Amino acid sequence: MDKATIELLARRAGLAKALAEFPEDVAVAARQAESAVAKVRKCDDPRAEPWPPMRAGSGL
Amino acid sequence: MSEGTPGELHWLTAADAARAIAAKELSPVELVKALIERIARLDPRLNAFIRHDGAIALQAARQAEAEAMVGRLRGPLHGVPVGIKDIIDVAGLPTTCHSKILVGNIAAADAVCVQKLRGAGAIVMGKLSTHEFAIGGPSFDLPWPPARNPWNTDHHPGGSSSGSGAGVAAGLFPMALGSDTGGSVRNPASCCGIVGLKPTYGLVSRRGVFPLSFTLDHVGPMTRTVADNALMLETLAGHDPHDPGSAAVPYGHYTAALDRPVRGLRVGFVRHFHEVDLPAEPEVTAALDHVARTLQLEGMEVRDVTLPSLDEFRAINRVILQSEAWAIHEKWLQERPGDYAQLSRRQLMTGAFFTAGDYTHAARRRLEMIAEVEVVLREVDVLLCASSMDPACRIDRPADLERTYPRQARTPFNVTGHPAIAMMAGLSAGGLPLSVQFAGRYFDEATVLQVARAWERASGVDGKHPPIA
Repeated sequence: MDKATIELLARRAGLAKALAEFPEDVAVAARQAESAVAKVRKCDDPRAEPWPPMRAGSGL
Repeated sequence: MSEGTPGELHWLTAADAARAIAAKELSPVELVKALIERIARLDPRLNAFIRHDGAIALQAARQAEAEAMVGRLRGPLHGVPVGIKDIIDVAGLPTTCHSKILVGNIAAADAVCVQKLRGAGAIVMGKLSTHEFAIGGPSFDLPWPPARNPWNTDHHPGGSSSGSGAGVAAGLFPMALGSDTGGSVRNPASCCGIVGLKPTYGLVSRRGVFPLSFTLDHVGPMTRTVADNALMLETLAGHDPHDPGSAAVPYGHYTAALDRPVRGLRVGFVRHFHEVDLPAEPEVTAALDHVARTLQLEGMEVRDVTLPSLDEFRAINRVILQSEAWAIHEKWLQERPGDYAQLSRRQLMTGAFFTAGDYTHAARRRLEMIAEVEVVLREVDVLLCASSMDPACRIDRPADLERTYPRQARTPFNVTGHPAIAMMAGLSAGGLPLSVQFAGRYFDEATVLQVARAWERASGVDGKHPPIA
């Protein structure tokens, strides 16, 4: 994610103050998000249900 | 009522203390006084407490003693002291979450887990240090210092339930409450050499606990012995209709199941977690092999099993946790970013950079991963794996903290919601605890605790205490 994109997304999220005061922290946060998303394997079936997000022991 | 020897009382287990109080052989007042004296002596070095009010604890102890003397016991923890992680509400006390953001946030009522402990007779000793809002790491830019490891105060005690782990291990109280969203009960249990259980998602109410991530948060017991953990869980478990994540399932009888025969139980050893996914320090690997051999000698059948990779579990945990946490912290991060510690600010702002699609993809994959773990748990009764890949590093070395904190195998069971317990597996050459983790089927905490007890009994790890005095 380049600097301009990070700044755009941060402002869109209302993080203008954080961007002004802690630009390196905002950049680290953006890179962490990018890294995590890259490791999530996407389901092949576009109809796959994500729900329920967590209901231990039911429907499995 | 005998008052015991104050110098020895701090290593009493919760079960032994409760038994002695019920038998009128021990005064809760003397027990609490002994712990207050120990806290005054040791906590300036440990920072386990954010708030300790000895007068309130003593008042509760006097009441408990008066009740015990006339045979009126509130429950199985009558007169037993407990510490409460400071993201959990205790009526009339601030719930600060170790953050400047919530200084002065007075709780109107006890969290359900605190209600249950008090209902069973436990005495609240105070509010305990945590990583800010149960995320981040040991931070020196907060209103209170971070807790330290009683095995070596130059090292971190794990987190986020850091005061809970340090305090239980140091003998400041025999039991504590922690919370676990990515491993925060089991990390301090691993670093401090105690027993920390993350129960099945939904077994213990989260009402009155400041949320970090709604679908990953768990409340769990932290103790010095497996028996105390089972005893505490018996008090904490149960359906709460006001907690949307709470499950209406049968529960209990954890203590009675502890000493069932373990011969023939099938143990799945998840070697790839610490041999391939995140290669562990050699002494951690050796300790895990020793645990596996010991369980075999106890008559269990140990076989290797394969789960999804730690890298993917961690990514799913991060996307879901940080997305949900962003929804909680958005306004404060927008308006007061400077009131967070740097470590938690970086973690919490990460949620701003995920899309709705990212969250949904992670939720879908989460269900697939749950199914993959369930398949394995049809073939074995319990899983054995690493908890931490390294002993606790020094608390004053940010680069070491950044490198070692993610080297763990706890997040899989937050993602899937299965019960998991972490405990001591031995000591490193440097005298710091090494750890092991057991996980099991949904709501089968009884078997997880049973196997943990078998390891504890065979190894004697419950007799090891830090040298701090």
